[in-house]
Amino acid sequence: MLKINPDFAVKLKKYGAVDINACYNCGNCTAICPLSEEDHSFPRRMLRASVLGLDTRIEASLDPWLCYYCGECSETCPREANPGELMMTLRRWLTAKYDWTGLSGLLYSSIPALIIGFVLVAIAIIGIGFAKHFNIEAIMDFGHHFELIAIISVFSLILVPNIIRMFWFTILKEKTKVPLISYIKGTWDFLLHMFTQKNSLKCENNIFRWLEHLVIVFGYLLLLFTTVFLNWFSTENTFIIWLGYIAGGMIFVFTFDFILSRIRKSKEINKFSHPSDWLFVIWLFLMAFTAFLVRVFIDTDLLSNNLWLYMVHLIVIAQWALLIVPFGKWTHFLYRSFAMYFKKLEEDSK
Amino acid sequence: MKEKIGVYVCHCGGNISDYVDVEKVRDVVEKEEGVVLSKTTMFACADSAQKEIINDIKENDLNAIVVASCSPKLHLSTFRNVAERAGLNPYHYVQANIREQCSWAHTDKPKEATEKAIRIVRASVRRVRYSEALKPFTIPAANIALIIGAGVAGMRSAISLADMGTHVYLIEKSHFVGGRVAQMGELFSTNEKGEEVISKLYDEIKKRDKIKLFTGAELGSVSGSVGDYKAQIKIHPRYIVPDCDMDKLKEAISECKTEMPDEYNFGLTQKKAIYKAYENCKPEMPAIEKDAFNPDQKFLEKYKDCIDLEQKTETLNINTGTVILSTGFDPYEPEDGEYGYKKAENVITLQQLKRLIELSNGKLEYNNREIKNIVYVYCVGSRQKEGENKYCSRYCCTAAIHAALLCRKKFDSVKGFHLYRDMRTYGKYELLFDEVSRQGDIFFRFNEDESPVVETANGKLQVKFRDILTNNEEIAIEPDLVVLVTGMVPRKDSGTVAGILKTPVGTDKFFNEVHPKLRPVETVIDGMYICGTCQGPKNITESITSSLSAAAKSNSLINKGEIELEPTIIRIDPEACEWCDKCAEICPFDSITKTEYSPDGQKGKTIAFVNESTCKGCGMCAPVCPTDAIDIIGYTNNEIESMIDGLIKEV
Repeated sequence: MLKINPDFAVKLKKYGAVDINACYNCGNCTAICPLSEEDHSFPRRMLRASVLGLDTRIEASLDPWLCYYCGECSETCPREANPGELMMTLRRWLTAKYDWTGLSGLLYSSIPALIIGFVLVAIAIIGIGFAKHFNIEAIMDFGHHFELIAIISVFSLILVPNIIRMFWFTILKEKTKVPLISYIKGTWDFLLHMFTQKNSLKCENNIFRWLEHLVIVFGYLLLLFTTVFLNWFSTENTFIIWLGYIAGGMIFVFTFDFILSRIRKSKEINKFSHPSDWLFVIWLFLMAFTAFLVRVFIDTDLLSNNLWLYMVHLIVIAQWALLIVPFGKWTHFLYRSFAMYFKKLEEDSK
Repeated sequence: MKEKIGVYVCHCGGNISDYVDVEKVRDVVEKEEGVVLSKTTMFACADSAQKEIINDIKENDLNAIVVASCSPKLHLSTFRNVAERAGLNPYHYVQANIREQCSWAHTDKPKEATEKAIRIVRASVRRVRYSEALKPFTIPAANIALIIGAGVAGMRSAISLADMGTHVYLIEKSHFVGGRVAQMGELFSTNEKGEEVISKLYDEIKKRDKIKLFTGAELGSVSGSVGDYKAQIKIHPRYIVPDCDMDKLKEAISECKTEMPDEYNFGLTQKKAIYKAYENCKPEMPAIEKDAFNPDQKFLEKYKDCIDLEQKTETLNINTGTVILSTGFDPYEPEDGEYGYKKAENVITLQQLKRLIELSNGKLEYNNREIKNIVYVYCVGSRQKEGENKYCSRYCCTAAIHAALLCRKKFDSVKGFHLYRDMRTYGKYELLFDEVSRQGDIFFRFNEDESPVVETANGKLQVKFRDILTNNEEIAIEPDLVVLVTGMVPRKDSGTVAGILKTPVGTDKFFNEVHPKLRPVETVIDGMYICGTCQGPKNITESITSSLSAAAKSNSLINKGEIELEPTIIRIDPEACEWCDKCAEICPFDSITKTEYSPDGQKGKTIAFVNESTCKGCGMCAPVCPTDAIDIIGYTNNEIESMIDGLIKEV
């Protein structure tokens, strides 16, 4: 016996979806969706669950992560209920749900909290700069270590527990009986989808967007690798220097295009932008762009007189690593991949 | 016997001649007895062809014509006019249908089609030989209409008729006009109140001398026929002294102790035995429920200038040309226990909710409980699988959604949960459906085989159902109020009216029209019309449309003071008739009675008599007559037999 909760849809509005009550359940969205399958039929069912406020059902579902938001459902919707944006909204809501700290939900649903968070991180970095007497070398040394420590701690303290929570909600709590061997067999699917997002190619006319996305992912991983492990800002190795330039360039060129698309709103997927969407693309752009500039300033021997540039870069990096990566849209990268993995487990259990 | 017959065989462009050899038809028919002229023509109905026929008639002194072309439904009157213009009696014209009944039906067999066409035309030629000159006869008609029921339909119809010059008797059984619309509160699409609409119509009626309105008036009996109906109307008293001191009457009302459930508010409130339907009701004069009224002598003495319990029911006999029925509907009354009605607490009907909205201010309350969540169950008493009401009541989906919007507008945060089978907010009302769902009301769809269950469980009102839109899963809601969206049934006493007027009703008990599409407001009885919801579920717009249509039909029939009737009715041969009453028994229009026949002043005999104004010439009586005393004019035995001869003769 289901109990309904109409307040859920009201709460969900803070995460994005504003028009879902207009839905009259015609099912055109599911019919047109190239990714919807018999066992994972969406978006209508998810929309219905949202309108009725069946939050435990949504929490146990992998469906929101299986959608790559081509926007065809929203274009087709006769009531302009925007089912595509609802799926995006549920990804935000799920991110908050999986997050054990509760910070994710706060940052998604409250703009003041978001601003306070970003300002606090900036103040902390400036404070550290002050503690280091604004000595450029000391600060850069701190920056280099900060990146490594941030990656390790964010992963172990936030992301890993959250993925375990996701596993609990979607597999364990649902009492899905998975054969042990499947956990190993499923890793191939996991890696394949994590690095290629190949399912998004099933969306119509999506090759360019998929390519852009792929370039950004690899550019991002490459930049992370060169800065953290190859110490890009301190290296003398020409190959590494150029590798860093290429990675940074790849990111900021393509993120710039993403930002422009969101401003132009020409495509369905860009028509609605939640603050978290803006933050993600803008900070990714700023991160790559400031890193690029820092290295240019190093190569032209200007950095020692332009400490502020590195400070800005470090603030952006810190905000990215401490807020967007653990609590924001960055997590989609992980949750989507794990969703594919869990879906595989689910299939094997049958 | 007509011996100078002209025959015209039409090509109809190619509609006929592509399959029927029209020249051959002409050649064969030319040789028929009595035919002096036969031609083929490309389009017989064309102006030039019509002129040619007129010339032929005049030049050759033709005394009958046959046109072999399309269905008489299309051009019978065209060629009757042609005959008339040439100085020939229009009934000396016969149309042979060789298009719908021949060429179009046999496109694959041209040879046989030609043969069939020959037989059809030949039969028509033989029939026309026996044709008689006939004249449509006229009967006097009073330019007066009697309208039964002063709801929106009846009132609007009365206004329209008066404006066209017809006198109107508008009778209303209740002491106040307005019917169901007066009870509806705010209406959808215009957002004005039902009682405001009624007041507007009432003011218009008062402006027109041609309309005589009687409230408390009931139809007693009706006799006569179209143009000359005689109706007896019983007018029940209000038991209030006319022109009494209104202030003193108000005092009497406030002192009156007898109370009873107020049917205007569907029993939600009590009313006094001296009452007005509602504050601004029309007419404004209160009335007394005499059966319940039980005042002491002192009270009666004190208010003897205002109250007169000695008033008697009066009888009014009127003459009228037509009758319009607009007796309206009753909301379906759910059975006890149907969706918890009268069993679980806080289960009411849509009509009660509409009154509750009007009666509540600030917050919506029922049974001393503030209402925040309402479950609406649709199709209650409509589209029944088991019950008798198979029809959709049309207005309820929109009305329920409009009520939900009203609740959201008038009271803070009242949520609606709508349990429907199919949503039928047709036409522009779809926008209301869109609006209420955008505002957050939730819609669930149930299967008619698994109706929602409404019950009180652990002291809480609960609705359980399976929702098709959620994978047919079981859902439970605990609302503060359950509203049964009840449909329309005919007025309780419409059966009595039907009995008096002998107007047919359908299996659903609503009044039946002659033809739902082509004659939607006429009944099988000439001069009797139906409009509004007594005919079937309608919203106000649709009711008014039909009422204006009934007014127009009614007026166009009687406004000349006489009615022209087709002469093709039956004729009794007084010599042959022996009055056995078999014809009177079988006549569907009660047109045959008996009369005395004494041709030579001697003691006569009893024979059948035909009421020309009601006989339709249907011919039901002819075959049952044992002495063959009945002929149908235009289809006499001679005519029919000669046609058969013409049809069966080999080509």
